[in-house]
Amino acid sequence: MSPGPSLPVQPPNGPQPNGEPSSGPRSQKSMTKAERRELQERQRAAKAAKPTAAPGAPNAKQAAKSNQPTAAPKKGPDSGAAAAAKTPKDAKAATAVASEGVAGKAHGLRIFSHFGLPKPVSAAKGDIHPAVVRLALQFSNFKITGANARCIATLTAFKTVIQDYATPPNNTLSRHLMTHLSPQISHLVAARPMSVTMGNAIRQLKLEISGSDIDLPEQDAKDALCQKIDNYIRDRIIIADQVIEETAGNKIKDGDVVLTYARSSVVEKVLLGAHSEGRQFSVIIVDSRPMLEGKRLLSVLSSAGIQCTYLLLPALGSVISEVSTVFLGAHSIHSNGAVYARAGTALVAMLAKQHSVPVVVCCETYKFSEGVQLDSFTKNELAPVGDLFSSFPLTKPREALTLHKGPNLEILNPLYDLTPPTSITAVVTEVGVIPPNSISSIPLALGRLL
Amino acid sequence: MAPELQTAGHRAVEVLAGKLRRRQVVGSREAALETVLVLRQVVSRARFSNINQLVGIIRDVGRRLSEAQPKEHTVGNIVRKVLHNIREEYNTATRGTAAAAAPVRNVYSISKFVLQGQPRKQHVAPRSEATASLKENDPNDPDSFARGIKPVLMEAIQDVLDELETVYDNVSKNAKDHIHSDEIILTIGHSKTVEAFLKAAAHNRNFTVIVAETGPSYSGHEMARALSAAGISTFLVPDSSIYAIMSRVNKVLLGAHAILANGGMFAICGSLLAATAARTHSTPVVVCAGQFKLTPLWNLYHDYGALDFADPSSVLGFEEGDLVDKVDVVNPYYDYVGPELVDVFITNDGDHPPSSVYRLIKESYDDEDHEF
Repeated sequence: MSPGPSLPVQPPNGPQPNGEPSSGPRSQKSMTKAERRELQERQRAAKAAKPTAAPGAPNAKQAAKSNQPTAAPKKGPDSGAAAAAKTPKDAKAATAVASEGVAGKAHGLRIFSHFGLPKPVSAAKGDIHPAVVRLALQFSNFKITGANARCIATLTAFKTVIQDYATPPNNTLSRHLMTHLSPQISHLVAARPMSVTMGNAIRQLKLEISGSDIDLPEQDAKDALCQKIDNYIRDRIIIADQVIEETAGNKIKDGDVVLTYARSSVVEKVLLGAHSEGRQFSVIIVDSRPMLEGKRLLSVLSSAGIQCTYLLLPALGSVISEVSTVFLGAHSIHSNGAVYARAGTALVAMLAKQHSVPVVVCCETYKFSEGVQLDSFTKNELAPVGDLFSSFPLTKPREALTLHKGPNLEILNPLYDLTPPTSITAVVTEVGVIPPNSISSIPLALGRLL
Repeated sequence: MAPELQTAGHRAVEVLAGKLRRRQVVGSREAALETVLVLRQVVSRARFSNINQLVGIIRDVGRRLSEAQPKEHTVGNIVRKVLHNIREEYNTATRGTAAAAAPVRNVYSISKFVLQGQPRKQHVAPRSEATASLKENDPNDPDSFARGIKPVLMEAIQDVLDELETVYDNVSKNAKDHIHSDEIILTIGHSKTVEAFLKAAAHNRNFTVIVAETGPSYSGHEMARALSAAGISTFLVPDSSIYAIMSRVNKVLLGAHAILANGGMFAICGSLLAATAARTHSTPVVVCAGQFKLTPLWNLYHDYGALDFADPSSVLGFEEGDLVDKVDVVNPYYDYVGPELVDVFITNDGDHPPSSVYRLIKESYDDEDHEF
């Protein structure tokens, strides 16, 4: 998907005498996929282009630092990977001086290179069901966001796929359906990395498929599977949300000031439920770029008649002293109690904890993710650069904003972050209110149904 | 009896007060520069026969300017600084250098030890060779005192102006000692002092800067552009990811709007989040500010009213038509950051921890000027 190289790429001191990238110490395996792709493109370009004497325009900073002109950076889709690719390329350079000067620069840009930028949805390979194609487009354009929404949409699309599926001869449904579904799943993952909820649901679906009775006629087997999917959605999401709504709603008393961040579907239900029971409380909605999802929550809550205050994340410090409880949603929750949620949640939880405000996370049990994540870098997703969500105020002239990257300038929009368990007071699930350190006991509480 | 201001000086004060009231003067350094220029005009045209009249004139100017824009603290600070310098000059002119002499060191005793520890008034180099003949309240020639001391006063004011004009250079003097190679620095908003500091360090060091956008003003965008144009590798991130990236950040560099007497500060909205997240990760927080931002003011109760509020339409604009009526929008411009969150203040006059800010204030300003 990267455009063809627009400049001939030269090693800094003319063509190498042996023509081989000899001094590159890193094997192909140690480079990331992006770097490998860059390396391939470079090798292809080097073969195709005629070597000329003139090196490309040096990067201004490197020219200042070292006297060796370096080859022009490729116009790759992500200069993070391009800068990272500069390092293996410069490792091939003749002198150590150039690579020292450049390695210092590339270090900073390299630490984020594993994030990987979102790729545009490629043309559907193989036969992808149209429902899945539509869903992938909706995902990549962020029309469907939120862990619950994405999971329900995926399962609904898969129901259509299953109904339209016909077992090929000499095959059983329980064995072949999964191979049929795999490319559909990969297509969705290519559009946007899979959420933990989708992963858990699909794992459960695979379990059901492989456990389906071989003797059942095909239509009955398919109907049974769709019924199981409906039950999953109903039990693990809809009814779980109702239980959470009631439990968490009991924590809201008259006169409370509730604070929430961005838009969680569960917290929205909790607040609407508590309001419909006649409790008098006001809500403070904290919102932030890149997605500015809080505005949707704001319109829903204020149309329901709840008194709302709206502010952006930096302003949090001035209102936190008036807040009685903080309700947060989650994308997933780990066995050490750390909550993986929309970027900015960690800041809200941290500041609330500092001001002794209880932080309550509302999370269904199907969002539970085995394993422990230590920081927000282990797993994260970047939003596409630019104003996809129209999240800049109209009062700000567009020329004053930096919407595209430039030389020495990269724009990163991480979508998630990790809140450590120390900042959280309690987690409300459908099996009860749990302190964050006991999250690992959830599978036990569910009778290992996870 | 209160002397009236000369018309020209009076007009200049009114013009500046109007600009401050309408927020046409943006930025603490700009406000400080304009205040110095106005004070210079006022002093050069003032008529007074003793020092107290001059002090009264200047305090009156200070009161009017601070009332025009109470949240712009540098205006009052400059007036206090000028008053302090004027008093110093006056003291050296009338009494010689006796008051400023260092204590004799040949006897060791507890009292000498204690005396040496007193905050020493900042020395203004005395220029008062030819002023032995100053006579106050001369009935024959009421202006003789003014004429005699004015050149000295103008030089004192010029000192303040010079200090203001060289603030960025002096703050960045030791930049390369504070920033090391391959460091990742986080900053927010667009502070020109921090920008000058980073650009100075970039001449000798290779580092990366992460700039947080700082909604709703999004001044971080300009900062990122300025830094990347200077050849520093820059990342622009939204405010929501400050906690996420903090584990990789080596230092947090902030600018200040005003430094308070307890070592806390008013800084652009979002600084509290960055400083708290840094404290959670044990990352040092460094504040770059000129000394003209030192304010003899306390924020003991973390007053909501101490904040300055900006236009809510940048948070929730009129395009959300039906929401605008039903919803409260909060858009403070500044945050209060407590002294426990800041590790060091880098000023044009050296580096100081928050615990010694009170000493700096005692040395730069006179106690009687805290309230005009």
